[in-house]
Amino acid sequence: MRAHGVSRAWEKAAPYILLAPFIFHITAFFGYAFVRTFYFSFTEYNLFASPRWVGLTNYVDLFRNVQFGRALKNSLQFAIIVTLAQTFLALILAVVMNSKVRGIRFFRAAYYMPSVTSSVVITLIFMWLFQRGGVINYLTTKFMEYRAPIGVFFLCLAAIQVLLVWRDRAGGWPASWFEPAFLLISSVFSFVLVLALQAARIIGPNPNVEVVRTVWLNTRQTVPAWAGALAVPRPLAAIMILNTWTTAPTMMLLFLAGLQDIPRELYEAAAVDGAAPAAAFRHITLPGLRNATFLVLSMGLISTLQMFDQVAIVGEQAPRESVITLAYFIYSNAFPGSAVPRIGAASAAAIVLAVFTMVLVS
Amino acid sequence: MTEQDRRAGAENRKKLAARRRWAKAAAVYVLLLGFSLLFVGPMAFAMLSSLKDNPVEWPPGLGSPQLSLANWVAAARLGLAGGGTAFFGQFAPGAIVPFSITYEVDEGSEPETPIVRVPRRVPGAGPAAIIAEPFAADDAVVSEVREARRTTTDGVVRVTYEFDITHMGSDMVYGKLPLDIEVPMYQRFVRATLEPNRIERLGRVQSWNNVTSGVIPYVFYNYHRVFRENYSRATGKNLFLAWIRNSFMLAGIKVVTTLVVASMAGYALARLKFAGRKALFNLVLLSMMIPGQVTFVSNYLVLRDGIFGLTKLLGGGSLINTWTGYVVSTMVGGSAVFIMKQFFEGLPTELEESARIDGASVLATYSRIMLPLAGPALGALAILTFQGTWNEFFWPLVILTSPPDKYTLTLGLLSFRTTYAVAFDWGPMLAGTVMSALPIVVMFVVFQRYFVEGISFSGIKG
Repeated sequence: MRAHGVSRAWEKAAPYILLAPFIFHITAFFGYAFVRTFYFSFTEYNLFASPRWVGLTNYVDLFRNVQFGRALKNSLQFAIIVTLAQTFLALILAVVMNSKVRGIRFFRAAYYMPSVTSSVVITLIFMWLFQRGGVINYLTTKFMEYRAPIGVFFLCLAAIQVLLVWRDRAGGWPASWFEPAFLLISSVFSFVLVLALQAARIIGPNPNVEVVRTVWLNTRQTVPAWAGALAVPRPLAAIMILNTWTTAPTMMLLFLAGLQDIPRELYEAAAVDGAAPAAAFRHITLPGLRNATFLVLSMGLISTLQMFDQVAIVGEQAPRESVITLAYFIYSNAFPGSAVPRIGAASAAAIVLAVFTMVLVS
Repeated sequence: MTEQDRRAGAENRKKLAARRRWAKAAAVYVLLLGFSLLFVGPMAFAMLSSLKDNPVEWPPGLGSPQLSLANWVAAARLGLAGGGTAFFGQFAPGAIVPFSITYEVDEGSEPETPIVRVPRRVPGAGPAAIIAEPFAADDAVVSEVREARRTTTDGVVRVTYEFDITHMGSDMVYGKLPLDIEVPMYQRFVRATLEPNRIERLGRVQSWNNVTSGVIPYVFYNYHRVFRENYSRATGKNLFLAWIRNSFMLAGIKVVTTLVVASMAGYALARLKFAGRKALFNLVLLSMMIPGQVTFVSNYLVLRDGIFGLTKLLGGGSLINTWTGYVVSTMVGGSAVFIMKQFFEGLPTELEESARIDGASVLATYSRIMLPLAGPALGALAILTFQGTWNEFFWPLVILTSPPDKYTLTLGLLSFRTTYAVAFDWGPMLAGTVMSALPIVVMFVVFQRYFVEGISFSGIKG
């Protein structure tokens, strides 16, 4: 009887035994930490002397702090622009990736590569690409040099495509404006035409193009110039490009899962009813992806709002106020190098960041 | 419409559909290839450029002397001549290294015999500059420079000079034999036994880092530098090796702690009834969303004060800059528990129920029945944890600050910024990034399926 009682007690305790290490960890390193950050945000504290209660002073000061204003603006710009860009890119990638062709697994793996490597590796590579004498400026220079041939190519392509589609529609076939077979024909023709024009020296690269020497990181310029107060600091824009590039493949996987959940029969029914592919995309694909889109947008906003690594890694190579984000503001106030840590300000900013995150989720 | 017309129409439609399918596949491949270039291009280009002597050359090109077969053969021959092997060369006593170099001048001016020197070059910048090592110049003697051939074509005179570098010493073996060859301004360099690493002073000086390197140090010169030049001033230990070891060890330990703790907690959350279950799960979700920057001050203090003074009881002190501190503070993540919970919830309940009817305890059911079924999930979690730890940046930045041999690989790479990037010395930087990405890329290629499965659960990195 007693043995049975003991084993009953064991059974009761079993969940807590299994959970003990995790509960210790999440309590000490998350729950307690969160509460303590909240407490610190009402105090003046430098990690050494004991905290002194100052009420709401830290929050009031925060909104008078120019650096915090910049961090807030940068974070919001970053979150909104990057989330939109990566969602859009991911959607395109997922739709292309959803085609049934051979070797798709290989491409999926290739695209996912930037997402598995560390932020330090990717950011250092990007800092190298965005050098003054780097590849980005080189490619831009080349593009400027070959502007005329490229322009002629696309004009020809559009013209031939329109002709072919018109001819087909006149014959009673429901050809789409982006009919792939015609696109293939028109691009081959335009390419040959451009080569011929180049050989005949009618068009060609412009030899007088100035070499592009854009400074991407160590500059206080903002882009685009006409956007006024909404313009993005150029170093931040470079980080936006980088982040879109690394995260879009992850988001692509989420969209891809969403696409594969849409029943094939819907498309077949649409095809039987004679719906154009574009209409099928608008009326079947997009509504079917509503959940995936919601997930991608919210995950994107949360992660971009918390951007820290890239700013810390670019470090001194870009002006601090051009790239500072909320997360970096928190870090640099808590560990300001040689100055006295301002834990109160850091914690207040941390609470602001946490509140932003939770508002986004709910 | 006659029957014949109708049949012809159907035939046409079928043809059109076939054409469409074919063209669509072609268009898809073109797009896929274009996107591959976008996503893999920068990394592949960084990898190619990590072999270059100057990765910030203008215009940036894909090729480099390090990728030419002729140079490999030359490097192998010179490595053997220096007394080493074809792959790893050296400059050993008794070695006679033959070398030839060709110049051209316009007809009418007389080419001058080049001045050949074995320079005393201090290796690299930063911490490497303090490494004291013997100079090959102490024992290397350059023979007389002879004119071997002279041809004149189209008003251009080409002259080839030959000379030997001999090791006259008796016992010193040198790791490298640098070389500088100088000619007047009007004399243009054409080719040499081995392509020079740099051309300096407006074309007057052709310069080699190490002519007897052998193939591997020739091709992977920047990689070689990364290992050679990063030494701890205090202990003399090789820092880059230490960082690699630290990253592997910490990632390995964290995989073990995560698997153990997360599978137990995940099972309890998925299948067991206990008070506060809902609240705990909400806390898990919250911890997955709130970034480390919100909680790090307190966590830093907890480690500094030895986990509420516990380590003081055991005779320890602060846990900042210790592996113990890192492991204790990161032994499991909310997302790992979440993944395990989702997995256990997806398993059928029958097995457990029959085990319970047979009188097995909860702990026995977990360890004997459920855990063996969790193999695939544990595998995915192990890989994701390893990758996450290997790539982790913020928390190591906070608590592993000094000395440099405590760094993980990510922090070590960050320190390259001040060692190399300030001097625009991008060769070792790129070599370091390639080496630090390599284990994860290999793992990804091998275990691709797990990465893709895990991603929908684990959230995303910034």
